Amino acid sequence: MSNRTNQAPGSLLRRWSGAHPLSLGGFVLVVAGMVVLPLVVTNPFYQNLWTRILIFGLLAMSLDVLLGFTGLLSFMHNSYLGLAAYAAGLFTINVNPESLWLAMLVGVVFTMIIAWPVGWLQVRTGGLAFALLTMAFGMMYYTVAWKWHDVTGGDDGLVAAIEHGLPKVAEEGMVPYLDINLGPWNLGNTSDPVHVYYLVLFIVVVAFILTHRMVNSPLGAVLEAIRENEERASFVGINVRRFKLIGWLVACGLAGLAGTLWMFLERNIAPDTMHAFEGAEVLMMVLLGGMGSLWGPFLGAGIFILLKDCLSSATEHWEIYVGLVVIFLVLFLPKGVAGLSSMLRRKPSENK
Amino acid sequence: MASVIQIILNGLVLGGVFLIVAIGLNIIYGLNRVMNLAHGSLYALGAYFGYTLVTGKVLLFGLDFEFGGLNFFLALILAPALVGLVGWVLERVLIEPMRDRPMIYTLILTYGLMFLIDGLIKANWGDTPHYIIPPEFLQKPVYIGDFSYPAYRFALLVGVAVVMGLLMTLLNRTRMGINMRAAADIPEMVSALGVNLKAVRVGAFVLGCVMAGIAGFLVGPLYPILPIMGHDMLISSFVVIVIGGLGSLRGVIVAALLVGFVQALAEAVITNFAMVIVYMLMAVILVFKPYGILGEGKFE
Repeated sequence: MSNRTNQAPGSLLRRWSGAHPLSLGGFVLVVAGMVVLPLVVTNPFYQNLWTRILIFGLLAMSLDVLLGFTGLLSFMHNSYLGLAAYAAGLFTINVNPESLWLAMLVGVVFTMIIAWPVGWLQVRTGGLAFALLTMAFGMMYYTVAWKWHDVTGGDDGLVAAIEHGLPKVAEEGMVPYLDINLGPWNLGNTSDPVHVYYLVLFIVVVAFILTHRMVNSPLGAVLEAIRENEERASFVGINVRRFKLIGWLVACGLAGLAGTLWMFLERNIAPDTMHAFEGAEVLMMVLLGGMGSLWGPFLGAGIFILLKDCLSSATEHWEIYVGLVVIFLVLFLPKGVAGLSSMLRRKPSENK
Repeated sequence: MASVIQIILNGLVLGGVFLIVAIGLNIIYGLNRVMNLAHGSLYALGAYFGYTLVTGKVLLFGLDFEFGGLNFFLALILAPALVGLVGWVLERVLIEPMRDRPMIYTLILTYGLMFLIDGLIKANWGDTPHYIIPPEFLQKPVYIGDFSYPAYRFALLVGVAVVMGLLMTLLNRTRMGINMRAAADIPEMVSALGVNLKAVRVGAFVLGCVMAGIAGFLVGPLYPILPIMGHDMLISSFVVIVIGGLGSLRGVIVAALLVGFVQALAEAVITNFAMVIVYMLMAVILVFKPYGILGEGKFE
């Protein structure tokens, strides 16, 4: 992380991004690699897998804003992905089966509307109760999504809701494909995995740049101050609750964004996605990649999803391994892979 | 009228179970400053140990054998003790090294532990529901006039009262309990007076685990024993301790009964969204009392 109080007058780009030229180059290189990826990986299954990695990376990054920068723990951040996916899906089925951007907006706005009062309540309690409440509310969303059969389709997800009486705009009983329009131009359709991939990549890159900008702004500094020492932060006049709420809303909005992307990719959302177990997986992606780095969670999501893809066919007791890996990470690698790389980069003299 | 009595009794039963689980969680938190997210899994473990001891069918990852099966009340003492033993190992191996790290790490650690224990339970006992068979004289309903209520539920209420009585005696009358209460308040002072703080903390952790085991065993004859039974209980006990105040024992008593009654009432009126009503209650209480009805950390 660069020193933001004492920045050398560099190029405009560097000043704006607050990033070291080397990491800026790395970022451009990675994005370029992701752009050419579908040309190399032509199997639609793996194209979908990479899209999933990007979406879960975005979700994990949103959790990192909360965990690594604000110091708040959300056990069930996946529930906000689920809320947005349900909202975007229901909007597409019932209201407007054409506009992708509108569905995205509805998903994110709906998530924020739910997250606001919940966050308002959560920041009123201490840091520990905050974490417990995220779990309680997450289980509540899960229960509602599961039991409110008429609207959400219950166990099987929106697919079942479409079958049971909702308007059948959907082909093959799924949430319909959408055209990706940008102004007058039609850039593709979500029925093509490559088009979905590029859409997701574009959104994720924009979201990453904006989030990176945010955590390197005075707002980010305030959030980090709260993470480091809440009491001192309030002594210097920071309204701790207000900024915690802002951090929470940013994190939930980004999770909502990931949720709408999920809906475009999967065309279905079931309560399973909102379960505590999935929440643990997201947490694990952040831990695996390293919290407080923003790019680490993407790496974590990639490692985790590829690993799960290999392992899930080999064992049925996935829970045991998830548990063991989490315990191992906390005990021996609390900073994740990102922490490992900065540990290696640091000069021995600095390594106290 | 009969249904009103039934709702009240159901509320007491639910509240009693919540009370034992949540007070265990709060004892651990009060002394160790660790929120044990594996507590629900230990509760499930209590039920499974109870099932194994009562039926005598021991499954141990392929090493299966059978013995005659124990008396229900003997198992009621042994199963929680076994859970306490598991708790002791966990505290030695995992919690103790994490003592100086920020709380976020122990939270995530015990979260991983929860999945580990759940996974092990599922691998060992499978997904199918089990039941603990209570002794014969507790299997019939009790008649009061024309109103009948299962005898086991009455027995459970008696059990809860006995456990709480024993716990209060332990905390108020024994050297260990008094040390615990003092250490929850000012650990430095207790340590300076020559009390082995580490032993007190281990004791509190084990005590909390035993409470979870007792609750799991007591619930065994009432509800199906499933690997996921701990999840709902964990969430409910969060709600209870957040309402009652983290680390506050009296607050938990009030909150557990409150949540028990509200849930029993909500279950009787609307079946599907009973928990949602409980969350609403929690939300309303937290708006006015952000640190629980009796405040945080009142360990008495």
